[in-house]
Amino acid sequence: MVDKIQIKNLSCYYNKKCVLESLTINVVKNEILSVIGPANSGKTTFLRTLNRMSDLEVSFKRTGDVFLNEENIFYMNMEFLRKRVSMLFAMPIPLPMSIYNNIIYAPKRLGLVNKKSDMDILVEQSLKDASLWNDVKDRLHTSAMKMSGGQQQRLCIARILAIDPEVILFDEPCSGLDPISTAKVEESMLELKRKYTILLVTNNVKQASRVSDRTAFFLMGKLIEVDKTEKLFISPKEKQTEDYITGRFG
Amino acid sequence: MRKSLDYIIETIIFICGMLSIIFVVLIFSFLLKEGLSFFKDFSFIKFITNQFWYPNSKIPSFGILPLICGSVLVTLGACLIAVPIGVMTALFISEIAPKGVRDILKSLVELMAAIPSVVIGFVGMVTIVPVVKNIFNLPTGLSAFSGSIMLGFMAVPTIVTISEDAIRSVPGQYKEGALALGATKWQTLRRIVLKAAMPGIIAAIMLGIGRVIGETMAVMMITGNAAHVPHSIFDPIRTMTSTIAAEMGETVRGGMHYKSLFAIGLVLFLITFIVNFIADLFLGKNKNL
Repeated sequence: MVDKIQIKNLSCYYNKKCVLESLTINVVKNEILSVIGPANSGKTTFLRTLNRMSDLEVSFKRTGDVFLNEENIFYMNMEFLRKRVSMLFAMPIPLPMSIYNNIIYAPKRLGLVNKKSDMDILVEQSLKDASLWNDVKDRLHTSAMKMSGGQQQRLCIARILAIDPEVILFDEPCSGLDPISTAKVEESMLELKRKYTILLVTNNVKQASRVSDRTAFFLMGKLIEVDKTEKLFISPKEKQTEDYITGRFG
Repeated sequence: MRKSLDYIIETIIFICGMLSIIFVVLIFSFLLKEGLSFFKDFSFIKFITNQFWYPNSKIPSFGILPLICGSVLVTLGACLIAVPIGVMTALFISEIAPKGVRDILKSLVELMAAIPSVVIGFVGMVTIVPVVKNIFNLPTGLSAFSGSIMLGFMAVPTIVTISEDAIRSVPGQYKEGALALGATKWQTLRRIVLKAAMPGIIAAIMLGIGRVIGETMAVMMITGNAAHVPHSIFDPIRTMTSTIAAEMGETVRGGMHYKSLFAIGLVLFLITFIVNFIADLFLGKNKNL
């Protein structure tokens, strides 16, 4: 059990309002850690701080430290950090270009591939890993905007795999998808866990119980409880956790 | 009662909509009628390739090649100035400037669009023209170059306001998506934001060009009004629009000169039509990526 990410005493503020309060938690290598909690519990802020997306906002302030492989991410180059800690958003966001270019855009820019033949191989491999290859292999050069929602989300996963990150952050990745697409995304998450470390923010408590190794429960910007998923769902230590997972509030 | 009110309002809206179409068709058919009757007496090829515009001499010569060259030269020059400045300004206002600066800049640019063209022409005449004359050591500063600078600045507000809208309507998620893949801010702006906003930016540039081609007064005051084929951008020139504006008052209704001016209008219309058509082709291509 190696700690991939260590978060020490992290507090986040928007417009001086505290949205995340002295959070200390670790993420183990090759696990899926789910973060559940009602709206405004700070779970998305938590996720967006890990690849410093929240630093883009002017009103955002933070204190505390986050270590990735014992390296403080707040001293790292932001672009390079986002290559190592990649993020999948709630809404599928294909970039306004072809399917092929969507996948090759970031690797090309980061200098991971140069030769055309390498690019073709990378595109094919990423699409296969995201189980999208068979759907799109005949139309790689058509616009990615014309795909269905589920395909777009899988394209976004393929795009992330192409830059070969260490950690993948899933921000409610299935909130806009139908149950079958959701099952496919969950399936690929379990597949991806062998190679990557995964953080999953979800409003769907059942999803957390289905896929994650450990689950953390956030409430009003505070970490209430984190434990092995089975343990947290069967015998939570805190009353608030129990109320939330049994649907008594939230 | 409410139903009949509905009906009345619908009818009024319908009439208003039809009116604008009818006006366009009427204007176009009038232009066509007067212009085409000119080509019965004077060949079209000769009209656009002849180098001499002497409508009032004893043996009149109606060659609008110098006028076309003048219009094209001034427009190209103005675009070279207005497009980079306009698009960069739009990018700065919508993506980079802090909020306070953005608001001030935006209202200033909009104010710039509200200045009447005669005023800009007048100011240009007493400021740009002597400066151009001195810097490039020309016999006169009234030249295509001065005209380009001034028209460029007239097109900038149009380009800025419309491209800024286009850039700001790019969903923030595109930006996040690119940033989350490790793109820098500039890479995101260039490859994602500009690309997604490109149809709007092209439309903005086309409207800017439209304003430049159609501009009459300012251009008449500042380009020297000499109807000969220019050899460099520092020559005085004359545009098609200013020819129509300057000479319409001195023609005899129904005469050759009068009809030739309508023919110029027709050619002008043709040119703007082609520009728009090319823009449409480009936009269509862009949609399919």
